[in-house]
Amino acid sequence: MKRRRFVQSLPLLSSAPGLLGQDAPKIDFAAPDTTATPLPHFFSAPQFAALRRLSDIILPPIAGTPGALAAGAPEFLDFLISESPAPRRVLYRSGLDALNTRAIGQYGIAFTALDNSQADTLLAPLRDPWTDSRPADVFAEFLRVARADILTATVNSREWIAVVSRRNPAAGGIGAYWLPAE
Amino acid sequence: MPALSYDVLIIGSGASGGMAAYTLAKLGVKCLMLDAGAPIDFDHDRVPRPVYDLPYRGFGRPGRFPHITQANEFNANIWADETQNPYSYDPADPYYWVRVRRIGGKTLVWGRASWRLTDYEFKARDRDGFGDNWPLAYADLAPYYDKCERLFHVGEDPAPDSVSLARFIAAARQRGVPAIKPRRAMGRLASSLNILLPDAVATGNLTIVPNAVVRRIVADKKTGLANGADFIDRHSGRELHAAARVVVVGASCLESTRLLLNSKIANSSGVLGHYLFDQFYVKNTIQAVVPEARDGKGAGNLMGGAGYIPRFRNLETKAKDFIRGYSVDFSSGGTPDPKYFPVYGEALQKAVNTHRGTGFSATTMGSVLPRFENHVIVDPNVIDAWGIPSLRIHARYTENEFNMARDAMRTLDELSHDAGFEVLEKHEKMVPPGESIHELGTCRMGDDPKTSVLNRWNQSHDMKNLFVVDGGSFVCGGSQNPTLTILALSMRASDYLAEQLRTRNL
Repeated sequence: MKRRRFVQSLPLLSSAPGLLGQDAPKIDFAAPDTTATPLPHFFSAPQFAALRRLSDIILPPIAGTPGALAAGAPEFLDFLISESPAPRRVLYRSGLDALNTRAIGQYGIAFTALDNSQADTLLAPLRDPWTDSRPADVFAEFLRVARADILTATVNSREWIAVVSRRNPAAGGIGAYWLPAE
Repeated sequence: MPALSYDVLIIGSGASGGMAAYTLAKLGVKCLMLDAGAPIDFDHDRVPRPVYDLPYRGFGRPGRFPHITQANEFNANIWADETQNPYSYDPADPYYWVRVRRIGGKTLVWGRASWRLTDYEFKARDRDGFGDNWPLAYADLAPYYDKCERLFHVGEDPAPDSVSLARFIAAARQRGVPAIKPRRAMGRLASSLNILLPDAVATGNLTIVPNAVVRRIVADKKTGLANGADFIDRHSGRELHAAARVVVVGASCLESTRLLLNSKIANSSGVLGHYLFDQFYVKNTIQAVVPEARDGKGAGNLMGGAGYIPRFRNLETKAKDFIRGYSVDFSSGGTPDPKYFPVYGEALQKAVNTHRGTGFSATTMGSVLPRFENHVIVDPNVIDAWGIPSLRIHARYTENEFNMARDAMRTLDELSHDAGFEVLEKHEKMVPPGESIHELGTCRMGDDPKTSVLNRWNQSHDMKNLFVVDGGSFVCGGSQNPTLTILALSMRASDYLAEQLRTRNL
């Protein structure tokens, strides 16, 4: 039986070069983000609401460019942080909780319900001059990290690049991607 | 099966291994090259892709490269996988070991800055009394620098300086600080992969085996000489032995030393693994803006271009709190990172737009003293994906480097103000040791077999048919990027080796 299986396999092996030589028709495939909406799963509902509000404050829609919300930055960061090492996950969760805790403590409402001037008081660390040293305060560090992540998640989004590349075709976000070695 | 044997087995395909293969093969020496990495094809292994179609939108897979800050999501598959290639260090003293495992090694990604060392480095002890001199002088290496520069098309950027760059250069010269054009290897690609290996293969004298992870160099029990190396085929996991009359190791500084330590050879001096150093980097020591370029007024020749400050400290005068010196890469143009603007929302967008193309930045690269206590050992508790013990790395900068970084920050701040720039941020914080990817030493050369691993020809004192031709052989470094010196040393050692084979001294 073993020998029969071996012999049966020979034609398959010998036909392999023929299979490789065939020309497969070219088919266009769609990226998932163009056909469906992401399902946030990592942050709690209050945390995610605070992240959405923070994202909108950091990068609102300006002069025809989509803001962080239209770019799906909060939904993307929910995914990214869920995949990140534990210290990053803790930093985000504790930072978003702190936004809500401080908002309730200071104004009696969640961060998402604050108006811009109220939110500004909580985001004061973002108005400190940049230094290369890591902030000693964890909340300040969260705000610094989140600001950078929200900006990157937005300007690297399909929605943002679609707009800016219409103004400047060189800003298409195209790079040379190295395929895996194996 | 016929017994296969080569004149020379070369381990590694980057700057040093590639140069050894190029030199030896052209001199008629039959070579076998083993490299742990996969082949790479620039036409077929990379595809144009928009950042938004990458799985992580350009952030890269979180946690994939905790020590390789140079990796991004586009080039991630070039760098050595950190899970497959672990190592260890004291958490209080992190070391960033940056590796590439593809044919061509780190020459696939290097910055191409090409500077020679001088007798300020080769004979540094004579000047400041620290450490040891090299067993060779600049004059010994100069002819090889000449050849390597021709081979790699090293030259200056021919573009004239922009107005802002000229202002900075004038401000520097006013204070006695030299500022010159960068020197780089030119061309679309300046790698072992396109410059060295094709010509070597074309001679018919070089055979390259990729995906070959070398486990150990094997010593003949009767003669005590190397007779080849055992390696693992990365795809199948099969173990094989490659036989050769001579072994040349050019696997990159720390990988070469790791291989020698794991092979338990070439260490009668006890200094194998010691005297680890690199260049320290203070990235963006200065981030400034050119005020007149704001609001889109940087067009014309106001902005753009790059320059270099070669080492100027401790040449004619003496710095008060450090020996040796530092160099600086500076450039004009580009937009400062949004992190420098302490605002958000519309104010941030306005700040970014206002400062688009106004940036000026300068990065410091400093000489690190080679100290015995900075060293590597084999860590038997940390093994790679092929069961080979990895390294535990002990490296720490000292007051000499810290004081030098502080001096650089002060100097660049002054020069920027003199040039009329507005400084957004200045700092003296170095990146962790190793991150500059210019690790050197641990297998140093010297005339005394009791205090060095290699002689002046990169040849083991203990095992005369073993050569280590990469940056591990450095006695000390400078503030200059080391690749050109690695190329020249490897060419020189290979010339010598070929002559020894021809005259049957090996």
